Amino acid sequence: MAEKFDAIVVGAGPSGNAATYTLAKAGLKVLQIERGEYPGSKNVQGAILYSDALEKIIPDFRDDAPLERHIIEQRMWMLDERSFVGTHFRSDDYNKPPYNRYTIIRAQFDKWFSSKVREAGALLICETTVEQLLMDDNKVVGVRCDRMGGDVFADVVILADGVNSTLARKAGFHGELQPKNVALAVKEILFMPEETIQARFNIGEEEGVVIEMMGSVTEGMVGTGFLYTNKDSLTIGVGCLLSDFKANPKKTTPYALLEKLKKHPSIAPLIEGGEMKEYCAHLIPEGGYNAVPKLFGDGWMIAGDSAGFVNAAHREGSNLAMTSGRLAAETVIAAKAAGKEMNAKTLAAYKAALDGSFVMKDLKKYRHLPDVLETSPQFFTTYPELVTRAAQTLFTVDGIDKSTKQREIMGSFKSARKLTGLVGDAFKLWRATR
Amino acid sequence: MSTVVNVEEKLFQNRYKVDHGRPHIAIKKPEICANDCQSQQCTYVCPAACYKAEGNGSVTLITDGCLECGSCRVICTEHTNVAWEYPRGGHGILFKFG
Repeated sequence: MAEKFDAIVVGAGPSGNAATYTLAKAGLKVLQIERGEYPGSKNVQGAILYSDALEKIIPDFRDDAPLERHIIEQRMWMLDERSFVGTHFRSDDYNKPPYNRYTIIRAQFDKWFSSKVREAGALLICETTVEQLLMDDNKVVGVRCDRMGGDVFADVVILADGVNSTLARKAGFHGELQPKNVALAVKEILFMPEETIQARFNIGEEEGVVIEMMGSVTEGMVGTGFLYTNKDSLTIGVGCLLSDFKANPKKTTPYALLEKLKKHPSIAPLIEGGEMKEYCAHLIPEGGYNAVPKLFGDGWMIAGDSAGFVNAAHREGSNLAMTSGRLAAETVIAAKAAGKEMNAKTLAAYKAALDGSFVMKDLKKYRHLPDVLETSPQFFTTYPELVTRAAQTLFTVDGIDKSTKQREIMGSFKSARKLTGLVGDAFKLWRATR
Repeated sequence: MSTVVNVEEKLFQNRYKVDHGRPHIAIKKPEICANDCQSQQCTYVCPAACYKAEGNGSVTLITDGCLECGSCRVICTEHTNVAWEYPRGGHGILFKFG
């Protein structure tokens, strides 16, 4: 194919679809290349869809997008081996359309998003892996595929090829991911009747709950567990920093960790009887602001997970992906309208747009968090255990007076972390999230 | 962990289109795993148990159940002994739900 395109987008996940859709809508000639059999077949996410980022691209997406349940309740649990202490936030305001967030099943959602991309006029080629970028005098001029006779050319290539970011790495735009900057998450999807889900989670039709968990379920590693309600299935998973999996003296496998989570006495009754139909694993870029690579150059831009756009503190990623894909596309559209060359100078507008958006603002706000958490496993082990034990001490009625119980609780905190440790931890958290 | 978890049972639920005879990941130099790598972390970090520690000290790799996460490549920091590519287009894991 000697044809030349205005733009090539590699990947059909949230950022790739957002970019391709935006470019095609503006009338540009755009080719999108996806290695999976169909868009979504290689993609893994929790998955929560945040409406705002998609609304800015497809305002009426609710009309036909495959959405599972809108979230009305967020639960945050701290667990030890036998118990949990939780905070739940539930609001009927989340029950009024337009809904703020939904659970989705990515294989279905990505297929739908892709149908919109093609309706908008983009050319999509699936089952094709891009092997490398084609360079001409340090400028990206196209891509080399493993099919259709090889090379395709374009004025600009948008890399939306996911967390492993193989193309930018091979081209030398950035180095290998560091184990401390990525989390490995594994999850299963468990099917059960809608009514069962609604009864177990105290929700009505189409209403959903998300549970995020920290504590003993990660065996001292920095990470969290999660349980999401889909329409007639639950997603349960656990993710920890890859550096922690690697260094764990117990050599716990990710699937053993997941099994342990499923057997926790507070979780097992919620998922009981669910029919497991798929087991997935995926890396999540959690290095944050300081791990964001070079975002553009002559003839290329990088978006979504491949650029490390995940706000780990708030469990947001797909919205950053869609927004960055859209901004990359808008950069191309503006440059094209102005008759500019797609060089680094022109594409610097992409970085400026990101800096002005919530994407970089949020990453910057939490820029210290990855380092703090990586060096402070107590937030994931000691504190959840202290809190659950404190609750048990306080709520167990056994003839011991409450003042004695309070002293016992204070004593347990001080002996675990010392007063300086407690103050230091509070300061660390404040500094990392202020 | 005391409980033995059979990951094959989990992987059995997944859909794959295996590219027979063309594994997309390879151990560059098997002798490095056997002689120089003390930890052999890939044998317990890989979520699909593609890497096996053999009795003779070597590590073997079978990519058929690979979930294409990339962990094995990223953790092999000391020896960078994993040659990692995506499968050819259309091959490998095919997530039904993702």
